Amino acid sequence: MAQTQEGVVERELTMSRAMVEAIADEMREDEEVFYMGEDVADYGGIFDSTAGLREEFGYDRIMDVPISETAYLGAAVGAAQAGMRPIAELMFVDFFGVAMDQIYNQMAKNTYMSGGNVNVPMVLTAAVGGYYNDAAQHSQTLYGTFAHLPGMKVVVPSTAYDAKGLMHNAIRDDDPVVYMFHKRLMGIGWMPAPDGPKTPVPETDYTIPFGSADVKREGADVTIVTLGLHVHRALEAAESLAEDGVDAEVIDLRTLVPLDDETILESVAKTGRLVVVDEDYRSFGVTGEIVARVAESSLADLEAVERVAAADVPIPYARSLENEMLPATEDIASAVRETQ
Amino acid sequence: MVQVTELQDMYADMVTARHYEERLQEEYMEGKQPAFDISAGPIPGELHLAAGHEASGAGVCQHLRDDDTVTAPHRPHHVAIAKGVDLKRMTAEIFGRESGLGKGKGGHMHLFDPDVNFACSGIIAEGCPPAAGAGLAAKKRNTDSVAVAFLGEGAIDQGAFLESLNFAAVHELPVVFVIEDNDWAISMPKGRVTDVENGSQRAGGFDMPGVRVDADDAVDVYEAAREAVGRARDRNGPTLVEVQVHRRMGHFMGDAQGYRPDEDQEAAQARDSIERLEADLRAAGVEDATIDDLREAAHERVEAAIAWAKDQPKPDPTAAHEDAFVNPPSGVTDTEPEFELAGGDD
Amino acid sequence: MSDTDTVAVEVDQYWPEDADEDEGIVSTWFVTEGAAVDDGDLLCEIQVEKVDADVLAPTAGTLAEILVDEDGEFARGDVLARIEPA
Repeated sequence: MAQTQEGVVERELTMSRAMVEAIADEMREDEEVFYMGEDVADYGGIFDSTAGLREEFGYDRIMDVPISETAYLGAAVGAAQAGMRPIAELMFVDFFGVAMDQIYNQMAKNTYMSGGNVNVPMVLTAAVGGYYNDAAQHSQTLYGTFAHLPGMKVVVPSTAYDAKGLMHNAIRDDDPVVYMFHKRLMGIGWMPAPDGPKTPVPETDYTIPFGSADVKREGADVTIVTLGLHVHRALEAAESLAEDGVDAEVIDLRTLVPLDDETILESVAKTGRLVVVDEDYRSFGVTGEIVARVAESSLADLEAVERVAAADVPIPYARSLENEMLPATEDIASAVRETQ
Repeated sequence: MVQVTELQDMYADMVTARHYEERLQEEYMEGKQPAFDISAGPIPGELHLAAGHEASGAGVCQHLRDDDTVTAPHRPHHVAIAKGVDLKRMTAEIFGRESGLGKGKGGHMHLFDPDVNFACSGIIAEGCPPAAGAGLAAKKRNTDSVAVAFLGEGAIDQGAFLESLNFAAVHELPVVFVIEDNDWAISMPKGRVTDVENGSQRAGGFDMPGVRVDADDAVDVYEAAREAVGRARDRNGPTLVEVQVHRRMGHFMGDAQGYRPDEDQEAAQARDSIERLEADLRAAGVEDATIDDLREAAHERVEAAIAWAKDQPKPDPTAAHEDAFVNPPSGVTDTEPEFELAGGDD
Repeated sequence: MSDTDTVAVEVDQYWPEDADEDEGIVSTWFVTEGAAVDDGDLLCEIQVEKVDADVLAPTAGTLAEILVDEDGEFARGDVLARIEPA
């Protein structure tokens, strides 16, 4: 497996195409890999997660399932324990509620409860994110919910390049991986992405390790730790902050479980100022976890801490209301200024 | 026609299971008296014993191979024994020892034996979807393996069960669902929580055959299972089988069963599927001495397993942090790839 | 360079079959001006009446000029880009 390639990589892909390229490659290599979800065959996934796959692999391997998450996610667990490598999709992460028992009590726990004698090599993909007025039951990210419960690795790519490498790792990993892809980063015609997620993507297969955060922008004055869509918003905020003479370092977590403490601590040692940005709810989640970890290990390095996250209310429908409670680019810039 | 050897196999499974549950009941109560402290003694936590269910496990598993998958609920020991689970390591797991099936991390409700594809779990109906998944894998791989999901009659109202029936039916999976009807879901008699008279009727709503075995009889179970498992192996789709059993003990150990009328408990004690099978054995010409030998061997096997288990070391506390994953946290690699991307990134 | 040296990337052959509309937009470019492309490589994605289509390189060479940018509109018969053949 090539972890490098001759020459400069110029060919760009949207995040959805990068994910699909990885899945297709793994499916060609291994017959035991298959994809199951709602509207994944002819429709190609409502967020383009399987676009073109049915045409190449057929209805057996790109499998449409009934609206029956408990049954099909549980079936993915059973097929994985039998040694296959299913990729099972939650059409919206918000639907986890109807199937959470199979996810957190079976998929996430069977390895441990069996003392490692059984393993569950499946990928659970899920579309996350708001900002398009789909309201409380279809707009969540729920990063904290999945990161909090033990037994599942959790990844959140923010670019096409990261998406492909993380997907290869997720499929090959013998453990369950929750792969959370943001709807607005996919590059879907009817939900335009910001500029950032479309990146050059190597043609060859490659794996990005879990638990490795990526410094997307180096800086000296503040450490912004974030994930998913807000990597790009933080980069945008960094541009306007630079004009004011504030040099922001932007760290893209890429993985929640396991979490890359080292990269964060190194950065805070340098800047002394921490801003954590998360599209998930503020309380009892990602922002609290990052701040706690830094406080535990490097309290002396910390001069200022700010959290930017969704307010602790369900996500409202009307545009002005949703914009109020979800983090905006300007909120990131304001938080940074508070630390200076 | 059931072969005599098969009758003897089932009898061996059933007396092993009965003796096992009776002995575990004794072991469990040790250290917990006089005041019942659930976390005390060599077997802490809950314990759900299957005395009275033996015909179901034996009759169904007689048709299964090691490569067939079985999922069972929290009252699994009779099924595990009939499926061929490693009895010593299963017992060690129940006693929370390091050499148990799960290194002491699963306990009695979460027993996994991958060598015979057996797993049980503690949430009602939870094993149904993974059983369907095992059937799905068999179908995709084009083998003739089948999957069997056991569940209690208290589980037939749970979404996981109903969804699994539909999923198995629409995808024509080689799965058999076996409802063990012992009339009681903890303190709830069947009729107060379900509107149909029998769980097997649920099959009608899913376009699948539904069979009810009324008598607490291993041979009747055997016959019904032969057909259902055969259908699955021939790739003719799933079947729902319901088997009447009886619960000779409480729902869990410590259950005083105050809700259960005396006549019901007495009737349960009087119906003994093991005695019925003994009668069948004699009718088939098996001598008393042979029957005694089988029973004797079963008792010895149980005693040996319990003695072995109690002799095993307890887990080292640091082991609590291990086995959440089989691969390293970083997955299949721990190094970043090196590419030169246009635009100067990475 | 003059137009006669380059190969046109024409949109018509990728027009979705049932589309009544005579206009569309380019939703995404996957290569930039100056990039090397092979015959059949994915160049961009267009959208006509909510149907997506992939536009492929008609020849190997260098993407000399993008005529319709991302989010830009085009009509039937338009040229989206030009390739300088290898």
